[in-house]
Amino acid sequence: MAKQYEIPIGAQHISLLEPLHFKFTTENEKIVNTEANVFYVHRGIEQACVTKFKFRQVSFVVGRVCGLCSISHSTAYSQVAEKLLKIDIPIRAKYLRMLVIELDRIHSHLLCLSHVAENSGFEALFMKTMQYREFSMELLEAVCGNRIQYDFAIVGGVSRDLKPEVGQTILKRLKTFMPQLEEIVDIFKTNWTLSLKNKGAGIINKEMVYRLNAVGPFARAAGVPIDVRNETEDLLPWKEVGFEVVTETSGDVYARNLVRLKELYVSIRIIENIINGLPESALITETKAFPEGEATVRLEAPRGELFYYAKGNKTQVLERLKIKAPTFSNVAAMRAAFEGNEYASAPAIIASYDPCLSCTAR
Amino acid sequence: MKKIETTLENLKKDIGAFYKEDLHHFMVMNAVETGDKMEIQWFFSDYAHPCETTCFFAMITPDEEVPSIKDIVLSSWVAEAELVDLMNIKIENTQKGFVLEPDFETGPLRKNK
Repeated sequence: MAKQYEIPIGAQHISLLEPLHFKFTTENEKIVNTEANVFYVHRGIEQACVTKFKFRQVSFVVGRVCGLCSISHSTAYSQVAEKLLKIDIPIRAKYLRMLVIELDRIHSHLLCLSHVAENSGFEALFMKTMQYREFSMELLEAVCGNRIQYDFAIVGGVSRDLKPEVGQTILKRLKTFMPQLEEIVDIFKTNWTLSLKNKGAGIINKEMVYRLNAVGPFARAAGVPIDVRNETEDLLPWKEVGFEVVTETSGDVYARNLVRLKELYVSIRIIENIINGLPESALITETKAFPEGEATVRLEAPRGELFYYAKGNKTQVLERLKIKAPTFSNVAAMRAAFEGNEYASAPAIIASYDPCLSCTAR
Repeated sequence: MKKIETTLENLKKDIGAFYKEDLHHFMVMNAVETGDKMEIQWFFSDYAHPCETTCFFAMITPDEEVPSIKDIVLSSWVAEAELVDLMNIKIENTQKGFVLEPDFETGPLRKNK
C-alpha cells in the first residue's frame, strides 16, 4: 500500500470562497477519503426569527442569510408565511418575484462558472466571466434598488413595481449579453486545457444522486431532472413563462458547467417572457391575519432546492422557522464526489459544487 | 403536506417501508418544541408526485434517544448531526461538533433549555 498523506484545505484557503474545511486523505496524489466541515459561520438566524422579529420583518432578516440567493430566501419565506396567513398574492407580484429570481440565477451561475475557471487555472476566463456578469448586478440594482440583499419579496407580494423603462433596459441588456454568453459557452465547451481539467473530474452519477439526495445543478448534471420549478407550480407559474428543465449525463465538472450555461438561456427566456407579458394587478395582498398552523415551501434557488418550514401560533412572532439550504443537501454527495480524483482537481470540484456556507450554516 | 405519526420504536420500520431511493427525496429533519415535549420531523418529497411533501413525526421527551435512519437514508447523517448540535437532541450514533464547535453553547435553538 502506498503511503497516505492527509492534506487539509481551509477554513481559509486561496481556492475557497467561503469558510469550509476539508481534510483529504491522499494516496499517490489520489483522494481516497474526505472529511468536511461546513459550519464555521453559524449566526443563529433561525432563532432570531422566532424571538426578536415579528413575522412580517422576517422576510428582511432571511434576505440576509445569503448575499447571492437573497431573493430565493425572502421569496420562500414570504410564500410559507402566506400559506400560514391563507392568502394568495396578486399575479403581477408572482411574475415580478420570478423575474428577480431569474436575474439572481444569472448572476449566481456566472459567479460559479467564473470560479470554476479560476480554480481550473484559467484566469482570463475568470475575468471575462466576471466582467460579463456585471450587467446582471446592475439590472438587479435597477429593479430592486440593491445589487445584493434586495428586500424585494415581502409577505403578501413585492415591495417595488417594475418601471416600463427598466423593463426595456433589461431587454436591451439581455440582447447585448447574448453574444457574450455564446462566447463563454464556446470556451467552456471547447477549450482544450479546460476540458483536461474538467472532463471526468468530480463525477457523481445518477445512482449516487438518488442515494445521497443531491439537488440543483449538481444533480441535474448527472441526468436527474430535479428542479422545483419543474415540480411545483402551485405558488409560481414557471411553465407559463417558458421554464424547461436542463440536464446533462456525465455528472462531472464539465457537465455541471454546461447545465449552468444552458440554464442561463432558460433564465433569459423566462425574463423576456415575463417583461413582454407582465400582467397588470396590485403588488400586494393586505391582511390583518396572524400566521396559524404549519406549512412548508420548496423553491429552486440557484444552487438547488431551498426548503422552508414555519409554524405560527396566531401571534406576531412565529413559533418555529426552519431553513434548509441546497448546499446542506449536497454535503453528502460532495464528499463522495472527491473520491478517486487527483488532489489537483479538488479546487475545481469544490467550485463546481458551488457551495454556499452562509446559507448552510445560517 | 401529508403528516404521518410514528413512534421511536416504529420509526425505522415505518420510514423503511415508505422510503424508496429512486422515488423519494429526503429533504431534512426538524424539531419543534411543544411544551415539555418535542416533535421530531423527517421530511420527504416525491419524485413521481410533485407538490407532495410527506412528513413523518414522532413526539419525544428531550431526554429520549432518537434512532438514526442512516442505514435507510444514507445522507441523513448531515441532518441528524445538525439537530444534535442545534437542538440538543440525542440521536443514535451521532456525536456533537459537526455544526457547531464542541465547546459551543448546547442546543442554541432550544427555547426551553
